[in-house]
Amino acid sequence: MSVPAPVTRIVIVGGGTAGWMTAAALTRVLGDLPGLSVTLIESEAIGTVGVGEATIPQIIGFNRLLGLDEAQFMRETRATYKLGIEFVDWLRPGHAYVHPFGSFGIDMLGIEFQHFWLRGQQVGETARIDDYSIAAVAGKSGKFAWPRTDNPKSPLSKLSYAFQFDAGRYAKFLRGFAEGNGATRVEGRITQVRQDGESGFVTAVALEDGREIAGELFIDCSGFRSLLLGQTLGVPFTDWSKWLPCDSAVAVPCELGGRSEPLTRSTARTAGWQWRIPLQHRIGNGHVFSSAHMDRGAATDLLLANLDGKPLADPNQLAFTAGHRAKVWDKNVVAFGLAAGFLEPLESTSIHLVQSGIARLLALFPDTGFSAVERDRFNAETQREYLNIRDFLVLHYRASERDDSEFWRYCRNLEAPDGLAEKIDMFRSSGRIFRENNELFTEDSWLSVMLSQGICPQAHHPAAHMLDDAETRTRLAHIRDVIRQAADQMPTQAEFLRQSGGAIAAAEYLIA
Amino acid sequence: MSEPNGIGNASRLARVVIVGGGTAGWMAAAALSRYFNDGRRTVTLIESDAIGTVGVGEATIPALRNFNAMLDIPEAEFLRETRGTCKLGIEFVNWGQVGDRYFHPFGNFGQDLHGISFHHLFLRERARCGGAEDIGQYSMSTMAARARHFARPAPGAQTVVNQIAYAYHFDAGLYAAYLRRMAERQGTVRIEGKITQVALDGETGDVTSVTLDSGAAIAGDLFIDCSGFRGLLIEEALETGYEDWSHWLPMDRALAVPSVSPGPPDPFTRSTAHAAGWQWRIPLQHRTGNGHVFSSAFMDEDTAQGILLANLETAPLSEPRPLRFLTGMRRKAWNHNVVALGLSSGFIEPLESTSIHLIQNGIARLFALFPDNPISPIERDEYNRGMRDIFEDVRDFIILHYKATQREDSEFWRYVKNMNVPDNLARKIALWQRHGRIFRENAELFSEPSWIAVMLGQNVWPAGYDPIADTLDEHKVAAAMAQMRVNYAEIAAKLPGHEEFLRQSGSWNLQAAVGQQAQALSA
Repeated sequence: MSVPAPVTRIVIVGGGTAGWMTAAALTRVLGDLPGLSVTLIESEAIGTVGVGEATIPQIIGFNRLLGLDEAQFMRETRATYKLGIEFVDWLRPGHAYVHPFGSFGIDMLGIEFQHFWLRGQQVGETARIDDYSIAAVAGKSGKFAWPRTDNPKSPLSKLSYAFQFDAGRYAKFLRGFAEGNGATRVEGRITQVRQDGESGFVTAVALEDGREIAGELFIDCSGFRSLLLGQTLGVPFTDWSKWLPCDSAVAVPCELGGRSEPLTRSTARTAGWQWRIPLQHRIGNGHVFSSAHMDRGAATDLLLANLDGKPLADPNQLAFTAGHRAKVWDKNVVAFGLAAGFLEPLESTSIHLVQSGIARLLALFPDTGFSAVERDRFNAETQREYLNIRDFLVLHYRASERDDSEFWRYCRNLEAPDGLAEKIDMFRSSGRIFRENNELFTEDSWLSVMLSQGICPQAHHPAAHMLDDAETRTRLAHIRDVIRQAADQMPTQAEFLRQSGGAIAAAEYLIA
Repeated sequence: MSEPNGIGNASRLARVVIVGGGTAGWMAAAALSRYFNDGRRTVTLIESDAIGTVGVGEATIPALRNFNAMLDIPEAEFLRETRGTCKLGIEFVNWGQVGDRYFHPFGNFGQDLHGISFHHLFLRERARCGGAEDIGQYSMSTMAARARHFARPAPGAQTVVNQIAYAYHFDAGLYAAYLRRMAERQGTVRIEGKITQVALDGETGDVTSVTLDSGAAIAGDLFIDCSGFRGLLIEEALETGYEDWSHWLPMDRALAVPSVSPGPPDPFTRSTAHAAGWQWRIPLQHRTGNGHVFSSAFMDEDTAQGILLANLETAPLSEPRPLRFLTGMRRKAWNHNVVALGLSSGFIEPLESTSIHLIQNGIARLFALFPDNPISPIERDEYNRGMRDIFEDVRDFIILHYKATQREDSEFWRYVKNMNVPDNLARKIALWQRHGRIFRENAELFSEPSWIAVMLGQNVWPAGYDPIADTLDEHKVAAAMAQMRVNYAEIAAKLPGHEEFLRQSGSWNLQAAVGQQAQALSA
């Protein structure tokens, strides 16, 4: 019945988005643990990458766990709302669709909406699946409102949302929060990592100035370097570049301009794609590309030629490999963020991976005995999550008609990973989608991308025939009307931000 | 026979033939005819009055209420017609050690505080104060069951009564009869007859028709095999194969016998462990169902019968009826154009009342994957994968009851205590033993409280608890727990008696009550 002592000394290495999210969550949840100390070491000399300024709806749960005030958070991080991602030129040049948050239409007779949509196509309906999503319709009209979870009959109950924000400001905001809750920040550069001679556990890190910071649990948020997990413990990297050949990015912010919608935009390019993330004070832009198919100069030119406003900084060059550390938790080191792995931000999952890692660590929080059962479970779940996201990303490249460049021809001929191939086959043959193992992306997400990127089911659920042709058309038209009307009544995003107190003051645009 | 479905080459699968009319057959017929009553599909059920039904189950889990709701079955009518009672959980006697008694309730334990699961607080409090406090005091369903009281949860209201979850006990034969009336009203065609021949397509190997002793041939596109253990189509015709799990669950016999009702029915099932198996006790309105499940490798039938009869509370109403089975599952529950439901798809002893649920789950899954002509192998594979998952979930949870024992008083208990268990279960037990952590994977049937109930009920105490529980002030937690105990006890005491509830809600079958008195007189 005797148990090893609880872990109380936690050291976080690195202070980017991942580091401060971790510090904020751990001090919030574990703050009352007797003897707890959370120390974060960062160096101002080392820049942060500031991945993923766009997020997915789960972030709301994270902010709620911390008890953040949404309006204050919006102001501090210059945030905008996000109702989905608009994908431009992915199926073929000139094509666009929205992958919305929330769900499509309404389920009827106990079967999913898409079967009725498919049946509608048979009887002459032409409206696209986007027209049945309140998030897509509102997003395209520049409208925003909070979901109405209290009223299942309202079309707004089918809405969900996320944020687009300045990740650097988010980290700073969380730093204030974490320090207020007792986290200690140590400024300094780590020069050495001390390990136990026998177990190999990390015991302390030594700083440039000679100080040593000891701990029981180390959280590696050191970015691509993966200082503890990769460099010190030598945990190998599982390389997925075969499936996701993009290995470079160039990022640049620009002045506000172009359409103002609560949507992230992803535009397919000759050898990759370009993101556009509108914030309150500027637009974040970036071009993710495969260096095997395009050189940096051309990629940078292409980005700069496709901005909606004047660039506000010099382009920032990044290089990466898609994949993850084979074990994200090894010995007494757990990695979050880029130190754990990297998947291109096509579906805005970077910050979510940090968040879900933290949640998983808390669910399996160790004692100083560091049991293998718990660690193994953590690693198995993490691996599954990376795999699920990878498959969803690969879908975007696979399901394209483009063959206008070597890059797109490579993607078209790519053999899909097993699970993905099965999902595509199932959908193609029957319009059915099954969500496995609490997969991150819902049936609605898969539906959106598969259908919009040209995977057309050959059949729908047999029971959709219970509605006759006329009834099918009437109901579909009614759903579209209700959604359209609801979207018309929503305020614009700018109005909503002003009303909810999330808008930044005019002067802040100037100093931003 | 099949008309175009419009997209692609698939055409509508129009003729569904159900073979066998026990619980599984009529559950399938009622559900399918309800959703396919558009005049373009036919549902036919073939059964023979000459072949008896096994009438598995009788005790259920709460999910059955969803099945009934899907069919719009009014609860009071259903209980009257099936002589049913309500069930708050299962009382396990003699499982951890001889003399032990614990309750596996439906519903949750206690209230979580600050996001920390209640059972961690319970474990922490126990570590702090020592002793073996009973977690049942923190379960609304357990406390109500102990008082022999019952009430439905009242959605919306702020009361711990909402922590009650419940299922039913009923007469499975009467349930099948009730569903038969419904299915026939919805257009199901019942054909009386014994199947003498099964015709397969020479090319595809699919079943094309079945021939009855009358000479009539019934053709179909999709066949649902509800023929029981023998698996008339799935095994005898298609030779699908069976996966044997008896090395983990060596029980292979049962003796079932009804007995006179002892008075107001208890709102729970009881399972009493014996030297080579266990005995069920299922209270209905008009009688009590009893049965002894045992392993013939460790006990002969005469001994088993003696134990069964010696442990009845009241007089038996008939001779014990013997049943034989082999625990395991059909290698594919769906093979060619035959879907096996019920005993033809596999058998797991009813220790956790899952037999009817496995049927219901198969029907729901079939509905979600309902095929066109020709049947797509992708959908069939998905069905089989899902059924395998749920069979294995149930299997592992049942194995836990045997593995987590301290009994060594018979060869049988020594065997099960020391056997190797499936990897997934071993991992679950190891995780629990460390910090009392339980994770429900995917759509696993049994939720965390079920695992907690059995682990603690059978004395598997973890070494520690979630370290995060130490963030809470121990005196405040102790006070909150004391308040919970008082609350559950007080509310349980105030709920109506179970029989009183059944009578007041119009669920009591008055004829049954008369019959019961007559039985008592003649017994």
